Amino acid sequence: MTLLRAENLTKDYAVRSGNAMFGKKATFRAVDSISFEVAAGETLAIVGESGSGKSTTAKLIARLTEPSSGSFAIDGVDVTHARGAALARYRRDVQVVFQDPFSSLNPKHSVERIINAPLDYQGIKPEGGRRRFAQSLMEQVGLNPDHVLRYPAQFSGGQAQRIGIARALAVRPKLVICDEAVSALDVTVQAQIIELLRRLRSEFGLAYIFIAHDLAVVRSLADRVAVMNKGVIVEQGPCHDLFGDPQDPYTQALLAAIPRIDPEWDRRRRENAEELA
Amino acid sequence: MSGLLEVDNLKVTIGGQDVVRDSSFAVDAGDTLGIVGESGSGKSMTALAVMGLLPRGARASGSVRFDGQELLGRTDRQLRALRGDAVSMIFQDPLSSLNPYYTVGLQIEETYLAHRGGKRAVARRLAVDALAEVGIPEPQERRRHFPHQFSGGQRQRIMIAMALICGPKLLIADEPTTALDVTVQAQVLKLLARLQAETGTGLLFISHDLAVISQIAHRVVVMRDGEQVEYATTEEAFCAPKHPYTRALLEAIPRIDEVS
Repeated sequence: MTLLRAENLTKDYAVRSGNAMFGKKATFRAVDSISFEVAAGETLAIVGESGSGKSTTAKLIARLTEPSSGSFAIDGVDVTHARGAALARYRRDVQVVFQDPFSSLNPKHSVERIINAPLDYQGIKPEGGRRRFAQSLMEQVGLNPDHVLRYPAQFSGGQAQRIGIARALAVRPKLVICDEAVSALDVTVQAQIIELLRRLRSEFGLAYIFIAHDLAVVRSLADRVAVMNKGVIVEQGPCHDLFGDPQDPYTQALLAAIPRIDPEWDRRRRENAEELA
Repeated sequence: MSGLLEVDNLKVTIGGQDVVRDSSFAVDAGDTLGIVGESGSGKSMTALAVMGLLPRGARASGSVRFDGQELLGRTDRQLRALRGDAVSMIFQDPLSSLNPYYTVGLQIEETYLAHRGGKRAVARRLAVDALAEVGIPEPQERRRHFPHQFSGGQRQRIMIAMALICGPKLLIADEPTTALDVTVQAQVLKLLARLQAETGTGLLFISHDLAVISQIAHRVVVMRDGEQVEYATTEEAFCAPKHPYTRALLEAIPRIDEVS
């Protein structure tokens, strides 16, 4: 069942060629007529290098910027230019987790206030009170609920990202957009957050749009992948097919460029580990 | 022992806290040593200690010998003569390492003249050659351009050209490809490997990325919380890691290839 459908989304930015002030007015097409679908409970990864338009796509779907043309709909309802109650309704269905947890969490707000913020925006009062509500979400994302009155600076990067995830879950969304949500984290912490995203996906039936430049991370999480280059989706398909048999030359080049640990070394390491055990 | 760089029991202390404890390793000519670790592991502090570039308030003890000479305890002036000449360094962010007000050609020339002196015209010819060597197209023209007129990958190539202009015996690269896109990263890694094979420069390569380290390094130091937990050939470290932390790191990274 299609949850989100985007059709011919395009985003132009006004720029000036040459001199920033006196150059000729021009437009830069960051996203060029892209179309994709996300089914309920499905994870679509959008991958690409810097300047590919993947983050602009995330912003468009999150309604953080307006498309120049094209449209997108959730559950069949067009929300491209939704206002007021319709927009609030959309924001209950779609939440975002950003790359840098510290710059996306207000440093002067306690975790309790941060996690309740989406409810405040929606004008909803949580059952059992704000503190209980925040604490139960903290438990769900693996944080100690006793720390509910602490501030973001008192947490590590991985823990802060868990706060961001808890906040996204507060309104029980159907779709969470993860914009490079694990890119800034150390590998061991990254592995834990990926595991958490997986668990939450099966517990709450969440769909994800997972924006990332790291294809190895994408492979471990996505059902389907869309590859973007220069504003265009050059190829999209099931994760297994796209990684196993990429069709587009850009996808092929991207996959070939990824630094790899020799699979033979991995195999020997696993054998050694088994012997030790 | 005839290591180009020999580090013994290196310890770095900041405000009474040990950020590097008892680190020992060596880099030979033509050899690449990778230092890998997560944030806060002390890998960058190790590199800065070798270069004598530790931040104010940090103290290094132990021994850092380069070409048989002890570097710890040298004056700033003595170290400055070494840096950019026999030992040079490239960092993660080329834009903050290049001066935005000068053309890239001039910056490369100045590096050469500061150490070797001689005629400007000679330095200019070398700078153009160096830019060509690292794959900047139309170097004669491009030397007159400013850092912001280049892409991220090109800027890192320019940094490499500048680092190699005096023919250093040792190049220290601290996360040199971390800010680059993967396709650009692959090109820069290839460039570094080629230049090293041609010049026999020793390379100390610092990265958080185990896959990158596995491709470029001959030997590896794994660091965690200031501690050197593993020091082995790259093959040993990746095939038969001794320390549980190295094993955990290798388990943690997602693989791009199908896991059989």
